[in-house]
Amino acid sequence: MFDFLIQGFGVALTPLNLGLAFLGALLGTLFGALPGIGPINGIAILMPLAYTLGLPAESALILLAGIYTGAEYGGRMSSILLNVPGDAGAVMTTLDGHPLAKKGLAGPALGLSAVSSFIGATVAIIGLTLFAPLLAIVAVKFGPAEFFGLMIFAFASMSAMMGKDPIKTLIGAVLGVLISTVGVDSGTGVLRFTFDMPELYDGIDFVVMIIGLFAVSEILLMLEHVFRHDQDGEMAPVGRVMVKMSEVMYCKWAILRSSVIGFVIGVLPGTGASVASAVAYTTEKRISDRDNTFGTGDMRGLAAPEAANNASAAGSFVPMLTLGIPGSGTTAILLGALMLYNINPGPMMFREQPVVVGGLIASLYIGNVMLLLLNLPLAGVFARVLQVPRWILVPSVAILAFVGVYQLNSDLMAIYLMLVIGVFGYLLRKFGFSLAPVVLGFVLGGLMEENLRRALSISGGDVAILFQSSLSIGLWIAAALVVLVPMFAGKLKAKLLPAKAS
Amino acid sequence: MKLAADRILSLLLLGLAAFVAVQAWQLQVPFSYDPLGPKAIPLMLAGLLAVLAIVLFVRPGAGGEWPTGALLLRLVFTMAILGAYAALFINLGFLVSTALVCVVIAWLFGATPVKAIVGGLLLALGSYLLFTYGLGISLPTGSWIEPLLGSH
Repeated sequence: MFDFLIQGFGVALTPLNLGLAFLGALLGTLFGALPGIGPINGIAILMPLAYTLGLPAESALILLAGIYTGAEYGGRMSSILLNVPGDAGAVMTTLDGHPLAKKGLAGPALGLSAVSSFIGATVAIIGLTLFAPLLAIVAVKFGPAEFFGLMIFAFASMSAMMGKDPIKTLIGAVLGVLISTVGVDSGTGVLRFTFDMPELYDGIDFVVMIIGLFAVSEILLMLEHVFRHDQDGEMAPVGRVMVKMSEVMYCKWAILRSSVIGFVIGVLPGTGASVASAVAYTTEKRISDRDNTFGTGDMRGLAAPEAANNASAAGSFVPMLTLGIPGSGTTAILLGALMLYNINPGPMMFREQPVVVGGLIASLYIGNVMLLLLNLPLAGVFARVLQVPRWILVPSVAILAFVGVYQLNSDLMAIYLMLVIGVFGYLLRKFGFSLAPVVLGFVLGGLMEENLRRALSISGGDVAILFQSSLSIGLWIAAALVVLVPMFAGKLKAKLLPAKAS
Repeated sequence: MKLAADRILSLLLLGLAAFVAVQAWQLQVPFSYDPLGPKAIPLMLAGLLAVLAIVLFVRPGAGGEWPTGALLLRLVFTMAILGAYAALFINLGFLVSTALVCVVIAWLFGATPVKAIVGGLLLALGSYLLFTYGLGISLPTGSWIEPLLGSH
């Protein structure tokens, strides 16, 4: 059963792939730590470069996964030292992380968060190793109808769990799916939404979409930031990054509980680090905050979200590798990167691409150890990255974006399209959308349509096929539950605690 | 004011939904192997988008702060710079266009003129060396420089 892992270590331990895992960890930590960049932007900006290097699929994925997990490490630095979360997943880290830094405990806080991240990721990677092959066995039974049900479930759990605004999450997903319909329709050869522009016949390139949506819009947001002279806050001195064994032991239950929570939420398609860390923090506060110390620099309040967001990062690989459904916005980007290699994500991937899947999982184990070894002694060095002035950072991002898109086919139209998408992304963010649903919709849209149409071809147009197997019925019920339960739970809570709710 | 932003957005989305629906409706489908065809999904999405837009209109959320005045001008200027970068990228070549754009952007983002010029030039040169020799990406050299090099 674990042949894939043995094979995977064979892949991951080649010098090239070891080097790439290290490079990914290093670049990821750096980009995650850069002010205003954060994990998802970091991976969006670096992805085309990984593609340019002409690496085989498994090596490229190892590099990108290294960047992804590394960025989760780097993202905590600005949360702890500056009180500025690098992305939504790091918001909870600021609650107790920054107060600790203000108490002069920045070093121990960074150390503790590295250790809890390591434990969280380890628990989740073990979970991934055990759970993914089982899920892959079930996944083989998936037909087009079950697939369609699964995507509905993915969108449902996303809208229910992500962000404060479910309507905007859904609108974002719909916009993403709409953008994915641009180009030649694979079933009939009909051109959709191409407006007689030959550049659009192949659809909107994934790299163009991601770079525009994230990197270009980020440039505009950073301009606002600089213009308003927003206070970055005093940076707390880091000092020696030391964490005592007793401090880790003090947090051990918080870490373990949060690791499991993070893994489970990571596995749910469509929900990622931001939900995981929020649930872990509130759970831990409820369980162990007896003296009301959470929020004032309680070590457990730092350890819990850190363990959870790294666990969810690894957990989100489960649906991605077994079902081809991204577990988070960032894995949606990874999935898009796989598609660039003509690897069709889906239930057969585990069987057909054991080298890619096994190599990736093995590299997660290796990368996780590398990250701990990098981050404990070098946190002080990485922290200096936080002070890179924006007038150097922004031109660099612009250069990376332009070169990344230009090298695809040496095509200027692609760059113009990237800029247009960038303005679109900026407007979405100003309207309070989160970009992850848009990416998820864009990546899943094509697959969703394909499976729906295939299912209906099989049944000759009879919609009943979508609800025939017990598997698809289960998925529809699950989709309904994730939407309805939080709604009713919220109302029930409001009724029981009218004073507290307001 | 805050409520207004989401209401405007919902009207825009309604317009988009109508546009998508009309466009999809006009698709000429010669023959389709599947009962659904290429029109169905865009039409469904348009419908869903319209419903969501109406919900948003009824229950608008917080709209956030919108740029005005000098900031808006700077945002437009930044996009214009990036557009100019794209337009000059091939003809002027990577090195020159990047150096120019980096100097202007660095200055826009608060660097002193001297810092902007030095930083911009170094960024352009450094990234050129990294991409060309480190990563083996071929970047446009610029149409004006080629006769000087005698390559064509």
